[in-house]
Amino acid sequence: MSGRRAITLVARREIRERLRGKAFLVSTALLLALVGASVGLAHMVNVEKTYRVAVTKPVPPGLAAALQRAAKPFDDAKVRVHVVATPAAGRQALDAKKVDALLLLSADRLVFRSDVDAKAAAVADTAVRALRNQLPPAPELTTSALHPATKQSTDAEVLVAYAAAFLLLGALAVYGQWVVAGVVEEKNNRVVELILATTQPRHLLAGKVIGIGLLGLAQLGLVAGLATALLVAGAFEAPASLGGSLALVIPWFALGFALYAVAYAAAGALASRQQNAETAGQPVTYTILAAFFAGYVVLSADAQGLLANVLTVFPPTAPLVLPARSALVGVPLWEHALAVVLVLSSIYALVRFAGRVYGQGLLHTGPRLGARAAWRLARER
Amino acid sequence: MLSLSHISKRFGPVQALSDCSFAVPRGRMLGFLGPNGAGKTTAMRSIFGLVQPEVGEVLWDGRQIGLAERLRFGYMPEERGLYPRMPVGEQLAYLAGLHGLDDRAAQSAAARWLERLGLADRAGARVEELSHGNQQRAQLAAALLHEPDLLILDEPFAGLDPVAVEMLAEVLADEVARGAAVLFSSHQLELVENICQDVAIIDHGRIVATGDVTELRRASQRWRIELHLDGAPAQWLPAVPGVELVERRNGDMRLLAGPNVDPEQVLAAAEEAGTVLEFSYGPPSLGERFLELVSR
Repeated sequence: MSGRRAITLVARREIRERLRGKAFLVSTALLLALVGASVGLAHMVNVEKTYRVAVTKPVPPGLAAALQRAAKPFDDAKVRVHVVATPAAGRQALDAKKVDALLLLSADRLVFRSDVDAKAAAVADTAVRALRNQLPPAPELTTSALHPATKQSTDAEVLVAYAAAFLLLGALAVYGQWVVAGVVEEKNNRVVELILATTQPRHLLAGKVIGIGLLGLAQLGLVAGLATALLVAGAFEAPASLGGSLALVIPWFALGFALYAVAYAAAGALASRQQNAETAGQPVTYTILAAFFAGYVVLSADAQGLLANVLTVFPPTAPLVLPARSALVGVPLWEHALAVVLVLSSIYALVRFAGRVYGQGLLHTGPRLGARAAWRLARER
Repeated sequence: MLSLSHISKRFGPVQALSDCSFAVPRGRMLGFLGPNGAGKTTAMRSIFGLVQPEVGEVLWDGRQIGLAERLRFGYMPEERGLYPRMPVGEQLAYLAGLHGLDDRAAQSAAARWLERLGLADRAGARVEELSHGNQQRAQLAAALLHEPDLLILDEPFAGLDPVAVEMLAEVLADEVARGAAVLFSSHQLELVENICQDVAIIDHGRIVATGDVTELRRASQRWRIELHLDGAPAQWLPAVPGVELVERRNGDMRLLAGPNVDPEQVLAAAEEAGTVLEFSYGPPSLGERFLELVSR
C-alpha cells in the first residue's frame, strides 16, 4: 500500500473522530460568535466617531449644520467645527493633530495630515454642495494632504496583524493539543501497536497532523470567510492592503501548524503512559508562547530593526511574526521566500526526527523518555 | 512459511532473545509456549519490525519481511487496543484499509467478520460500549479482516470463557484450513496440545524445543503413568527407583517414570499392593513436557 493511501486513511479517521466529538463544533461556533461580536463592537465604537474640521474665518452660516447633516448617514458620525483665523493657523492645528482636516473654502480644498480620509472628504463635499445648492457631478472640493502619504500602519492593519498572530497562537495551541491528546491516547490504549504493524510511523504522524490541520484550516476558513463577508458588507472599515494581510494568515497557519504539530506529536510519543496530554505538550506550548511574545516585543519596539528581520525568517517565530510584520510595515519578497524555505526545511527535518522518535517512543511504556534517549533508541532499534 | 533464524535481541542488561530459531509453515498452527518474561512477545514483535533483532533474520517465504509482506499478516498484540470512541464497524473497516483493502472491500470484510463473530448487531456501537468478551472478538476480527497469510496472536485465549475458547479454536482451525500459517502464544498447554500441530517452547530467551507436538512428547525419555488402585494404603508408592508422583486424587495416581524404568515394573508393584482397576502409560502430556524443559 502506498504511503499516500495510509496518510489519507489516517487523516480521514482523525477528521471523523474530531467531528464525532463536540469540541470541534463548539469551538467553531464560539469563534464565529466572536467575529460577529467584534463587528458589533466595531459598530458601537464607530458611533463615537467625531470628525474635527478646521474652517478659516469667515465661516458661512449653516456650514456646521450642513456638515452634521452630511455626516449622519456615516454611522451617525459627529462633526466638530474649529474656527481658525488663517490657513496657516489651520495647517498648524492639523499638524498638531488638534483637527483631522482643514477646509479651505476659498480654494475649494480639503487638506488632511498625510492620508486622505475618504469618509471625511465625502462628508465635507456633501455639506459644501448643500450649502452652495449645487448638484453633482463635479466634486466641489479637491482633497490634498500636508505630507506625502506615509506607510503608516492604520489602526485596522495593526489590529489585523496582532489579531492574526494571536489567532494563530490560539489555533496552534488548541490543534496542537489535539495532536498530543491523539498520540497519547493511541499510546495509552495500545492501538498503536496494531497500527504500526502495518503503517510507517512517519505516515501515521503525517496523517494525524494533516487531518487535524485540515480541520483547523476549515475552522479558520469559516472564520475568515465570515470576516470577509462582513468586510464586503461594509461592517468593517478596511484599507485596501487588508485583504493581502488576511491572505497571508492562511498559508502561514498551514506552515506554522505543520511545524508545531509535528513537534507536538513527538512530544506526545515521548510521554509516559501515566502522563496526561497537557503536560506532555508543555515544552512545545512554551516554545510557541515564547515565540509569540518575542515577536510581539520586537515588533512593538522596532518593526524594521535587525532583530525583527531575524525573527521574520527564524523558523519557530516566522509563522507568528511574518504575517504580523507584513501587515505592519511590509516584508520584502526575499524575506518571504527565505522564511518559507527555512520553515519547510525545518518541517522536513522534524518529520524525519519525529518519525523515528515516534516509532520508538510509542512502544516505550516506562517513564517519560527524553528526546535524546529516544533518538538513541531509535538509532539502535 | 515464517522462519525466525538465529535471532538475538538485548534490551539494556536483559537478553530478551538469544539465538532463537523456529518456523511456521503455511497450513499449520504453532503454539508458542514459555513462562512469563521468556521472550514470546519480543519474538512476535520482531515479526512486525516493531523490534529489530541485533543478530539473525525473520523471513517470510525465505525473504526479508518488508511493509508489503506485513500488510498480508494479521496481528493481535499482547495488550489489546482499539480506539475506544470509534464505532466497531467503522474501526474494522479502517484497519482493513490500512492492510491495503479499498474502501468497499474493507467495509464488506468488516461486515462479514462482525457477522461471523456474532457482533453484527453491534457494528454501530463504540468499542468502549462493548462487553470485555465482545471487545476481544472485535480485536480478533481486526487480525483476520484481510485474510492474512500469517496470523500472529499474543495470548488470544487469555480471559475467554469456554464458549469463546471453542469459537476461537474453530476460527483458527478454519484459518489453517484456508492455508494460513498461524502462531499464537498461550499458557493453556492442554489447549495447545489439542489444537496445534506444532509447538515452540521458549525459556529465558532461548528456544528449548520446537517441532510437531506428538513427536515432541514422544521425544521425552520419560513415561507418564496413570493408575487407579483399590485397597492399597493411602500413601502407597511403587517401590521402583526413578518413579515420581505427580498427582494423587481419589485413588487416581499420576506418575512420571524415568528413562530406565519399565512401566511393567510399576504395574507389578501395584498389583502386589492392591487391586488395579486402571493402568495406562504413554508419553508425557505437553504440560509435563513443558515443565520438564523449562525447569532446568
